Amino acid sequence: MLASRLSLALLLGVIALPATAGAQAPSAAEIARGKYVFGATGGCGCHTVPNGPVNAGGRKYEGPYGTVFSTNITPDKETGIGGWTDEQIITAIRLGRRPNGERLVPVHPYTVFNGMAEEDVKAVVAFLRTVPAVKRANLPKKTLPMFESVLLPAWLTAFAPRETPPTTVPTSGTARGEYLVRAVAHCGECHTPRTMTMATDNSRFLAGDPKGPENSEIPNITPDPTTGLTWSEEEIADYLGSGNKPDGDVAGGLMGEVIEGTLAGYKDMTKADRLAIARYLKTLPPIKNKIGK
Amino acid sequence: MNRKHLRTGIGLAGLVTLALASAATGQSTTKIWTSDVVADRQRLMKLNGASWADAQAKLKAGNAEAVAANAETMALTATMIPALFPEGSLTDKSKAKPEIWQKWPEFEAAAKNMGAQAEKLRDAARTKDLVATEAVAKDFGRQACGTCHQPFRVPPPQQQTPAPPPQPQPR
Amino acid sequence: MEFRYVRAGIVLGGLVALVVTGCATGQKSTMGPAETVAERQRLMKNVGANWADIQAKVKAGNPEAVAANAEAISLHAQRIPGLFPEGSLTDKSKAKPEIWQKWPEFQAAAKNLENRAGTLRDQAVAKDAAAVTTTVGTFGRDACGACHTPFRVPPPQQQPAAPRT
Repeated sequence: MLASRLSLALLLGVIALPATAGAQAPSAAEIARGKYVFGATGGCGCHTVPNGPVNAGGRKYEGPYGTVFSTNITPDKETGIGGWTDEQIITAIRLGRRPNGERLVPVHPYTVFNGMAEEDVKAVVAFLRTVPAVKRANLPKKTLPMFESVLLPAWLTAFAPRETPPTTVPTSGTARGEYLVRAVAHCGECHTPRTMTMATDNSRFLAGDPKGPENSEIPNITPDPTTGLTWSEEEIADYLGSGNKPDGDVAGGLMGEVIEGTLAGYKDMTKADRLAIARYLKTLPPIKNKIGK
Repeated sequence: MNRKHLRTGIGLAGLVTLALASAATGQSTTKIWTSDVVADRQRLMKLNGASWADAQAKLKAGNAEAVAANAETMALTATMIPALFPEGSLTDKSKAKPEIWQKWPEFEAAAKNMGAQAEKLRDAARTKDLVATEAVAKDFGRQACGTCHQPFRVPPPQQQTPAPPPQPQPR
Repeated sequence: MEFRYVRAGIVLGGLVALVVTGCATGQKSTMGPAETVAERQRLMKNVGANWADIQAKVKAGNPEAVAANAEAISLHAQRIPGLFPEGSLTDKSKAKPEIWQKWPEFQAAAKNLENRAGTLRDQAVAKDAAAVTTTVGTFGRDACGACHTPFRVPPPQQQPAAPRT
């Protein structure tokens, strides 16, 4: 009697466990994959103040919307995302909504990250939970009146770039390159010029932005022979892996940051992936857009 | 009366010493080679790029020893960097960021670091060991150049096409 | 009588001016002679290493690749006069006193190196293999020897071949 009760309790306990945990505990392989994808996004550098603790947030972004600060995405329970479920984190990454229903200002490019396959996003979440927890309260944002209630939803409906996730992660060929460029590494967020509404002008994908983040001139990386990127695929792949340019110069600025990454960066992508990116770039329509003098 | 003569002496000495000192030191903070410090430093930086590109090409061809000359060139230019960034040299043509002067000790440290990394590369190359040299070269761009370019330089807006060596200088 | 005071003033003023100048130039411009000699010997060694690199590349049939080396030499040449201040003739130095006795000639010799290296660089940039090869043929004598002959004490022991580092 006791034995059968015990075994019933055990059985119930075993069934109950996954429910409370939310899902099976991620494997080491999944976490490693998560770290890789994390690196391919540039190491989520927007969430790290340069030389500061990784993922602890606090980086300032100013725009026509007002001022926002990147949030703490370390597993800290009070000030980070330690208390969020996997679903909640994924919803924030993809759909730009917090557990309390609040909308993210799309400095975090959720409509673009929505192009990431579910498998990859889950892996990133698993990895995020392994990063050291840092206690740092999020700084309050200062957005224009009615921005979040009226303007943002309208903008999202009308202007936001929309990526949709593939059912499985593309692993090779142009599809791989396209996936990495458009979604994971989100190159367009810096390299595509913006329209008056601040949305990316996707008819000129990757054609450069004269007034990019931190007021920098962002190069045109379409294969236009006079105003774009004319490096070979090998050179592009090398650059992403090391910051080395064919003329011996070395990346600085924001590209330098994402190549280096935080706990991982573009430089940690495999040669095959970096070549896939390069190959995809070569297939893009060449757009004449001279950036800089 | 005596004081007047004293003053004359001091004035004379001051003038003469200053004149001698500027002639002798030859490396004043505002004039290293030409009167255009921005052009001078851009030339130096282009030389660094060309040296690093040369080094990479040699390693690709399997020649580690030959990298030492390039590495030592870069180690030497590193010692010249701080003097090429005097106060007030932030012109339109310059790609320097004001952070250089706001965080001068960090800038100096970055230049010193470049020199140290270049010496490390040079010393590895001198062992003639290709694997060892490649190991140092692997991170050299980011660690020797990137660590300074990141905080202190405005990135170029258009990528240069493959390996333009130093441009002919007007003489 | 008055002159005593003038002299005192000169000494005082000189001291003050030296200190002020030393601080004002803001860098190690007041390098002692030993440091200056070490610095210029390091520079010269690198000129030599770049020159050896140039020769190796021409020998290997790759004359157009010498631009970076030639530019390094040209740039270094510009620093030469500044590295030979008065009073820097130490035991370790291989410089000859003629440098300071014939300073304009010494300056001209440094300028000659700078110009010839610059020409070599321009030829390499223009991918003119023939011109590079021709220049390299006499560069040692014309660019380096023109200064070393009058102004440097020759090394007593020949360096081993191919000092490429």
